[in-house]
Amino acid sequence: MAHLCLFSLLVLSMVLETQALTPTHHLTTTDVARLQAVLSQPFTDLKSAYYSVVGLSKLGILVADADETCQFIKSNLDPSSVESLFYAAEASQALSGCEIPVSNDTRDLLLATVSEDSTASQIHQSVSALSSLGLPLASQEVVSALKARISKEDNVLTIILALQTASRLSQQAELGDILEEIEDLAARLDDLSGVYLQFEEGLETTALFVSAAYALSDHVDMEPPLKEDQVIQLVNSIFSKKSWDSLSEAFSVASAAESLSNNRFHVPVIVSAQGPAAISHSQPFLRLQVTDVLCQPLSSASVLVESASTSSSKSAILSQAPFTLRDEVFELNFMASQPASGYYQFSVAIAGDSRFVANHVELKVKVSTRVAINNMDLSVVDKDQSTGPKTTRVEYPTKAKAPFMADSHQNFAMAFQLVDETTGVELTPHQTFVRLHNQKTGQEVVFVAEPDSKNLYKFELDTTERKTEFDSISGTYALYLMMGDATLENPILWNVADVVLKFLDEEAPSTIQAKTLYTPKPEIQHLFREPEKKPPTVVSNAFTALVLSPFLLLLILWVKLGANISNFTLSPSTFLFHIGHAAMLGLMYVYWTHLNMFQTMKYLAIIGSLTFLAGNRMLAQKAVKRLEGK
Amino acid sequence: MLLPFQRGPFRGRTSVSLTLISRFVEEYRSSTPNKLKVIDAYLLYILLTGVFQFLYCVLVGTFPFNSFLSGFIACVGSFILAVCLRIQINPQNKRDFLTVSPERAFADFLFAHTVLHLVVVNFVG
Repeated sequence: MAHLCLFSLLVLSMVLETQALTPTHHLTTTDVARLQAVLSQPFTDLKSAYYSVVGLSKLGILVADADETCQFIKSNLDPSSVESLFYAAEASQALSGCEIPVSNDTRDLLLATVSEDSTASQIHQSVSALSSLGLPLASQEVVSALKARISKEDNVLTIILALQTASRLSQQAELGDILEEIEDLAARLDDLSGVYLQFEEGLETTALFVSAAYALSDHVDMEPPLKEDQVIQLVNSIFSKKSWDSLSEAFSVASAAESLSNNRFHVPVIVSAQGPAAISHSQPFLRLQVTDVLCQPLSSASVLVESASTSSSKSAILSQAPFTLRDEVFELNFMASQPASGYYQFSVAIAGDSRFVANHVELKVKVSTRVAINNMDLSVVDKDQSTGPKTTRVEYPTKAKAPFMADSHQNFAMAFQLVDETTGVELTPHQTFVRLHNQKTGQEVVFVAEPDSKNLYKFELDTTERKTEFDSISGTYALYLMMGDATLENPILWNVADVVLKFLDEEAPSTIQAKTLYTPKPEIQHLFREPEKKPPTVVSNAFTALVLSPFLLLLILWVKLGANISNFTLSPSTFLFHIGHAAMLGLMYVYWTHLNMFQTMKYLAIIGSLTFLAGNRMLAQKAVKRLEGK
Repeated sequence: MLLPFQRGPFRGRTSVSLTLISRFVEEYRSSTPNKLKVIDAYLLYILLTGVFQFLYCVLVGTFPFNSFLSGFIACVGSFILAVCLRIQINPQNKRDFLTVSPERAFADFLFAHTVLHLVVVNFVG
């Protein structure tokens, strides 16, 4: 089991290694021109002069007015500042015939800066100035100072400056330790989804790293420990930004581009098709531009098609065919191999220099052709096949002279063949439509024509079967054939004939309603709940009287029985009780009409307690009276 | 007096019940005190009111059903409370209600009626 895992892992890694990355981002000629424009801006101080002059020299461009620039540098030079000396020295080195006068004090100042106590930036500036001014320096001292600096400050920029400084030292110095820093620094790069490789400090730092690493590697003639895929990922990161925020950023991109085009070990190759990668009979050549990262054409390269196969079948049409160089563009006459129309997968290899990186490219090439319509036969067939079909042949692009009649007993049929104009091979384009357009009503119906097994296109219209699509509207319909495909150069819209269709008239709608989706819909009337049917008022009133009538009976009975209020004691509690009781009954009525339960309870509590107290008193008096009477 | 299942001279069902009723009425008129008769008249009134309400509902329809229910329950409740009052006041039942004096019975009657009225008025709508 473990052996199997290991084996599959090995196979997987081999497969992955063979698929090399190609740059997804690179500078185009317009981008290079823009970079040049940024660096050519008029400079205001010595620092911007340094960036402009040295940056342009990296792009291979000489400054226009060298003498004026030289004067500017000399006048802005501050001999007591190491930084100023650095900018002046480097800029004058890039200009031809510009000499900075150097005094002993200057030299002593620069030499004194080379020590452990200066920052890495100061050491870099003084060493570069000494080297550019042609002054002697002690390389070993510099190396030890740098090493001490790196151990104190471990950040990325310090190490990059150390690498740059080391590339200016004598080759006899022990630069091995500093050279190892390249590998450590490369490990600190962030891999973003396998496409980009950059420092978290940003684009400028990444670009400076690239130029410093290659400068040092060239100086000691040892290949930098960067894999090909890493180099391509660095290319993607550095050249993905096409407009630069500051002069220093533009400078760093220019120096990175220069080191990637001119170093001794890795030269990334940019391959792009000139125009769309499409070939046809009118344009039989596939043209490729092969350049380095600065868009300079690699004329020494030899470009070869390793294999060209159709996207679907993977059978190779071409193998090992070379491109010819013409006017710095590599071209190949692909149509000479007579490919059928469609898409092809090209695998291109660029050889000629062992330094080339990303020199295997996959391209998708489209071959277009022109289509011709053959054997367009239109016929009207009787459904019961009593009479033979009348076939009319129509030639593209003419229209059939007489209109065709088809009513409910007949079918209208169309058959044709689509072939490649030059080779005569049968084609099946993506879109073959038959459109019937009623000129009077503006209605149109579109059908799809399908090829049979022999690639012969057939279309049949059964009027009874299709009457719903036509809304059963009879009339003259113009018949069009529409054809299109991505690989066709001549899409076709051909008015083939006029067809008069007759549907059974009973089914035709009287007015033709435009199918509108966005008109207001009919309004929905809301039906409120019907109130329940009430009985007539007479009945209700009669029954109300009936229900109240027993009260009269009660009064009569009471009178008959001799009920009286002779025992009414005239005491305040009696009055209060009766008033309170009456108030409670009144409250009931008010509750029914106006109040809610809470309010009623509130009033009831007040009246009720009064009534209770009064009633209690009254009844107690009554009880006493009753017991006395016994 | 003849026992019911002995064959005697032909009387008929109706005449038996008629004598029964007349005797009952006679007893009622003579032996019930006036106070109880007053309450009995009240009971009859309540009964009739309830019957007439029910008659309306049966004949015409239950349209405001909540009103019908509250009215009917008012009648039923009042009837029950009046019956309770009658029982408690009746001097013949004095032995059963030693702790309850007639005044106390009347007070209970009033209080219960208050609660009943509250419920009925709430429900009548």
